[in-house]
Amino acid sequence: MEPKRTETQSDYAARILRVLVHIQQHLDDDPGLEELADVAHFSPFHFHRVFRGMVGESVKQHVRRLRLERAAFHLRQSDRPVTSIAFEAGYEAHEAFSRAFRLVFGASPSQYRARAMAVAPSAPSGSHYVGPDVPVRFTPIPEDRLIMEVLIRNLSPMRVAFVRHTGPYNEVGATWEQLCEWAGRHALFGPNTTLFGACYDDPEVTAPDRIRYDACITVDDTVEAEGEIGIQTIPGGAYATVLHEGPYDNLKDTYAMLYGQWFAQSTHEPGDPPSLEFYLNDPNNTSPEDLQTEVCVRLRS
Amino acid sequence: MPSNPPTDKIDLFRLHRAEYASPKTPRIIETKSARYMAIDGAGSPGGETFQARLEALYGMAYTAKFMSKADGRDYTVSKLEAIYDQAAPDAASIGELPPEAWQWKFLIRVPDFIDDDALDRARAQLREKGKSGDFDDVRVVIIDEGVCVQMLHVGPYEEEGRTMEVMLAFAAEAGLVAHGGHHEIYISDPRRVAPEKLKTILRLPVRPRGDD
Repeated sequence: MEPKRTETQSDYAARILRVLVHIQQHLDDDPGLEELADVAHFSPFHFHRVFRGMVGESVKQHVRRLRLERAAFHLRQSDRPVTSIAFEAGYEAHEAFSRAFRLVFGASPSQYRARAMAVAPSAPSGSHYVGPDVPVRFTPIPEDRLIMEVLIRNLSPMRVAFVRHTGPYNEVGATWEQLCEWAGRHALFGPNTTLFGACYDDPEVTAPDRIRYDACITVDDTVEAEGEIGIQTIPGGAYATVLHEGPYDNLKDTYAMLYGQWFAQSTHEPGDPPSLEFYLNDPNNTSPEDLQTEVCVRLRS
Repeated sequence: MPSNPPTDKIDLFRLHRAEYASPKTPRIIETKSARYMAIDGAGSPGGETFQARLEALYGMAYTAKFMSKADGRDYTVSKLEAIYDQAAPDAASIGELPPEAWQWKFLIRVPDFIDDDALDRARAQLREKGKSGDFDDVRVVIIDEGVCVQMLHVGPYEEEGRTMEVMLAFAAEAGLVAHGGHHEIYISDPRRVAPEKLKTILRLPVRPRGDD
């Protein structure tokens, strides 16, 4: 386990704070992820996971909440018409604005304006919009505890045969079938055969139809590419590895924790994709909550 | 893999769930006769023979599975199992034998339609693909262990002895004695799981004491 509260974390926190300030100063501009990654000096590939891990919400959720909080500020501090405030918050229809507002504040915009009961919006990191000139602050989550066990493992380079899947993660099943059938036909399964997924995209950032994923099987030097089956070598070196337990759908939370918390508290920086996913049990005979996946993210050397 | 397609694949591990119980304390289970693809050998685990025999069995198991799938009869390749026959007089004393003297049988459970003929075809396919190995020594066997004491061992393989002792004490308490080799069902992948977390089902065929 890495020492906690190192300079890295305050460094990560400072970088994310810059992003939060930038977002508040450009609430109407919809700054893109590349722009924000640039502000934070993170690669666009890693930025969003660090943000989500430290702030506890996605950039999209954060921006939406802040716009609603700003709308609340104007409802309280001005007598501008609700429709104009709704429009500024990014809602063209009053109904949609009311619905979104009620979800966050537990009251309609007009009730809120009349100082009726309302709840304070929840923000995992404590970062709120409190006024145009109030300094932005936030508390990286979690405060002091690191609940995941991360091991640094040295992986040897792996020569693999693979099939590239481009599309949503929940559709990779057919790709695995294709790979395994091919490997079975060529008698490539042995006691030391390893199957794993190589992931190149963050599903919270990349559109579902553009997510790249390689279904990989380790092979020796004699195996050659054939049709849709490619050959590549997955780079070796130090990888941060963590065990994800539960449905594959929740893998994003494990990535967010790994990036936003573990990396933020360690002296390591994440390296280039792909990250690797080793599936330790078979989803066909395991209930989703018992699934185990070893997630490996390469460290920058 | 990250998708749970509905499947009509035969999954023997799931089908015979009761036989693959993995209790934290010893339990008596009843097993029925079961069909396996098997290969015999002797020597220390991890040694050269051990590895070569394993490779031959895996090659056959997966080749037969995919040939069967191509014929429209798909099934999941079951987990690796092993029976340590050992030249020892009873299951308890395997720890006293040097590993080089251990005799074992690797097993992978297969559906009924995997027969000698299916094995012949798998061998032919492997040869056609230029593979070499001890494929001729892979056979179909039927094993009927009947009543067994079973328990989950969590930890390194080398520490199975302590779990085995608990099982033997439990058997003795119940008026049972071990007969036949002890059986191991490998749940975890030792390449990915830390030794202290490895899960292995241990099974010990038993019969009433004095019942010969």
